[in-house]
Amino acid sequence: MTTTTAAIETRGLVKSYGRTPALLGLDMRVETGEVYGFLGPNGAGKTTTIRILLDLIRPTAGQVRVLGVDPARDGVELRRRIGYLPGDFVADGRQTGRQLVEHLGYLRGGVPRQRVDELAERLALDLSRPIKALSRGNRQKVGLVQAFMHDPELLVLDEPTTGLDPLMQQTFLELVREATAAGRTVFMSSHVLSEVQRGADRAGLVRAGELVTVESVESLRERAPRRVEAQLATPLQADEFAALPDVRDVRVDGAVLHCRVDGSPDALVKALARHTVLDLVVDEADLEEIFLGYYSQKEHVDVA
Amino acid sequence: MSREVWSQTLYQQRRALLGWVLGIAGVSVMYAGFYPAVSAPEFTEAYASMPSGVVEAFGMQDLTTAAGYLGSTVYGILGPVLVMVFAIGWGARFIAGDEQSGVLDLLLAHPVSRPSVLLQRTLTLVLGLLALGITVVVAVFLVSGPADLDLGVGQLAAASLHLVALGLAMGAVTLAIGAATGSKAAAIGGGAVVAVLSWMANALAPQAEALSWLTDVSPFAWYAQGQPLVSGVQWGDVGLLVGLAAVAVAVGLALFRRRDLMV
Repeated sequence: MTTTTAAIETRGLVKSYGRTPALLGLDMRVETGEVYGFLGPNGAGKTTTIRILLDLIRPTAGQVRVLGVDPARDGVELRRRIGYLPGDFVADGRQTGRQLVEHLGYLRGGVPRQRVDELAERLALDLSRPIKALSRGNRQKVGLVQAFMHDPELLVLDEPTTGLDPLMQQTFLELVREATAAGRTVFMSSHVLSEVQRGADRAGLVRAGELVTVESVESLRERAPRRVEAQLATPLQADEFAALPDVRDVRVDGAVLHCRVDGSPDALVKALARHTVLDLVVDEADLEEIFLGYYSQKEHVDVA
Repeated sequence: MSREVWSQTLYQQRRALLGWVLGIAGVSVMYAGFYPAVSAPEFTEAYASMPSGVVEAFGMQDLTTAAGYLGSTVYGILGPVLVMVFAIGWGARFIAGDEQSGVLDLLLAHPVSRPSVLLQRTLTLVLGLLALGITVVVAVFLVSGPADLDLGVGQLAAASLHLVALGLAMGAVTLAIGAATGSKAAAIGGGAVVAVLSWMANALAPQAEALSWLTDVSPFAWYAQGQPLVSGVQWGDVGLLVGLAAVAVAVGLALFRRRDLMV
């Protein structure tokens, strides 16, 4: 392990459930004070990794240090310093949000009520209602309140924005920014690129139990392919767009242009500007495409 | 922090516990209230004509004495059955049930250790059982005057202590199986099998000389054989029941610490 203390560091982390492998030697380093997006498709091993960090499950092989501590040895002390939002937030539904949060606060030796109220207010959450009466999004908010309420050194958030409407996602990102401004570290998993792009400083891409790459969010954005569909007023020729830089897979269907943009959309936008554009749809590529993009590029490098 | 888990668990179960208390109080009052009718001469004759094997298998004692009657009824079958069902239910829920519903995940992501959770929930189980044991004492004592039951609080308390120890043994075995496996079904099944086998062993033991050793290994025999209503607390038997509970919890703890928590 390196000398300076990372917030999270794993070396050759392996986890198998019986014969089913979930992690195949994950090496990861999350620096103190950063927002690290842990990005990967469902089943990539994100939740497995997170549960190892909390000592809910034990690695088959490899090393883990969280805040400089081995979770399997000093789990209680470690969890005091962590705020955790499970991917599937479940609590006894008969109690109110307030009762649950107070109970969890007592487990942490007490949490200021003022802080809980402030979080609930910002998330527009009514803590007086029984948890079973809450919508999925509101339950997720209870989960966020209990994760943030004790101002932990490290926040481990498994798919934190699940069920939140866009406005609340914004509030969530504010909470994350405030935490990092105060020197806290945030580790959040997601299977949605845009979510990580908005909230994280760096992103680790995990796939089939391995960390494929770690990138700054800017470079990830540059690489992220987008699918573009443009409806023009008049039929067009494919050649006009096929040669543009960063534009690929051009297909023309009458007056409709379909293509993919890897990198800057600038050239395409300027080319389109010469036409009358009736409609323009830009879709974020799904994660698989990003991974494919990454692999094809890597192969190029390997060949060269 | 250290008391938060057991107190919270007890709080969450408060309605269920109230139901059990009322139920077991009702059963106790009903049985005890029937004593004047049962101690009438006609019943004594009917009782004398029953085959002794049946009488012994069902743990029946002399129904015409207050101790014999209660030992055959409240403390003979229904009391132990209710207490064991209660203990197995809580034992299965406290680790395995909460694990399967996902609630345990959140709890163990907080600064509490697995041993602490298991031990605190064992304490909750003990408290629940004590509530039931005390309920029986109080309920029977309240009707003992009107029903001519000539029994002191001390005798009732001794029998209830045996009852609590029996429940603790079964509940702890169930809790331990749940903690070791994470499966609520395995916990309930295992607890029920142990309870039924130990009852059968106790029922079979008097039937043949060659089977008498069964009382040495039957927790139900440890509960019943000393006749605490007559002879007071049998500390050796109570010790065996509590010892079984302690061993079960220790083994469950060792396995619980080591394994993965299921999603």
